[in-house]
Amino acid sequence: MRIELDRPRCEGHGLCEEAAPKLMHLDDDGELVIDTPEVDGADLDTAKAAVRVCPVAALRLAGQ
Amino acid sequence: MTAPTESAIDIWDDGVLVDPYPTYAALREQAGVVYLPKNDLYVLTRYDIIRDALGDPATFSSTALGFNPMVNEALQGTSLASDPPLHTQLRATLSENLTPRALRGLKVTIDEKADKLVAELAASGSFEAVDSLARAFPLEIVADLIGFSGHVKDNMLRWGQAAMQVIGPMNQRTQESFPIAGELYGWCSTVTADDLAPGSIGRGIFDAETRGDIPEGTAGHIIHQYLGAGVDTTIASIGNIVALFGRHPEQLELVRENPDLVPAAFAEVLRYWAPIHIWGRTATRDVEIDGVTVPAGAQLGILFGAGNRDPRHYENPDVFDVTRNPVDHLSFGYGPHGCAGQGLAKLEAHAIIDALARRVRSMAIADEVREPSNITRSHEQLQVVKVVAA
Repeated sequence: MRIELDRPRCEGHGLCEEAAPKLMHLDDDGELVIDTPEVDGADLDTAKAAVRVCPVAALRLAGQ
Repeated sequence: MTAPTESAIDIWDDGVLVDPYPTYAALREQAGVVYLPKNDLYVLTRYDIIRDALGDPATFSSTALGFNPMVNEALQGTSLASDPPLHTQLRATLSENLTPRALRGLKVTIDEKADKLVAELAASGSFEAVDSLARAFPLEIVADLIGFSGHVKDNMLRWGQAAMQVIGPMNQRTQESFPIAGELYGWCSTVTADDLAPGSIGRGIFDAETRGDIPEGTAGHIIHQYLGAGVDTTIASIGNIVALFGRHPEQLELVRENPDLVPAAFAEVLRYWAPIHIWGRTATRDVEIDGVTVPAGAQLGILFGAGNRDPRHYENPDVFDVTRNPVDHLSFGYGPHGCAGQGLAKLEAHAIIDALARRVRSMAIADEVREPSNITRSHEQLQVVKVVAA
């Protein structure tokens, strides 16, 4: 699965980074960077958690 | 097509507004969506149903988010009352100055102000928490943020309360509040850059309008939304923080032992007592919810507090537990209309909780008074009868 970001919708609340620090981070300007867009196995569960906590629904997981 | 079950409850009954949780539990156990003939309203009661509705603006439109036609008319053209794609542009303009990245520079000031205020109160032995903390703190922060002072600052509390009240049905509270909400609207329509302090975010919004970054005439509307949405809700949250730590000293002790719990503690305060009681949506088509059909054009009422206590989603939902960290609570809404000011709300509330945890060993509360209010659920009075400084 692939983590996709709706960039205009992202406001940098940072809850995704807290849920999945190995997969994504906010850079020095507060912009979200997806470090590991392609996820499977244990990373997939972490990615799902990150998608789930985004308060403005800016993240989603897209199929193969 | 199966119609939803009905309940004779009036969701704006004084008793329900003051203590809604028994009613929420009854409605939630009855069904995920319940029709209230007294309010001509379909209320959403369960966590998953509420979250799915908030995430689906195509089916659940915000064009009638209020519960009377006058307020919906007045809100036309705001991001609050619009749907994507129009909403996307309006929201971007509104939230640009409110995102966590935009607010980072304010954290030190907000932390210092919270610490000073809480230290004084903790040293005073006893205090009335609504006026001296829950209201005083956000009013000062918002005044600094927008850059106003004088008579505007003096009116901010009643203007902010009225702006929320008029979103309710056309009951006496709404009727009495419309003229006051009109004063706020009037001020926001005539305010100019020169009225606002240089360097403030409010002044910056006017500068953006002058530069052409936002459409002409929108700066006043944005400031209106900041003031309408950001005052009464934050006041409610801070009052709830004091009341819940007063009622549950062992939970304050947990945060005192581990300050890393501050964000989790605020998420739990918001989950446990939602500052906003109810918020509207309209069904754009016949929609099946929880096995029944809500007809196109129906007015829906989202009961955030009912969803936040749904045992299908949270274990022991009626227990206040600062270690729970319910980051997915519904009190900020969710999705495209998720609270635009949540970054600022968190800055303020985290500063207060952190200061309480460092400055207060224990506090005993009494005289917890809530007045019925259409939309916001806040304290009118909350006495801290004995505070022991740390």
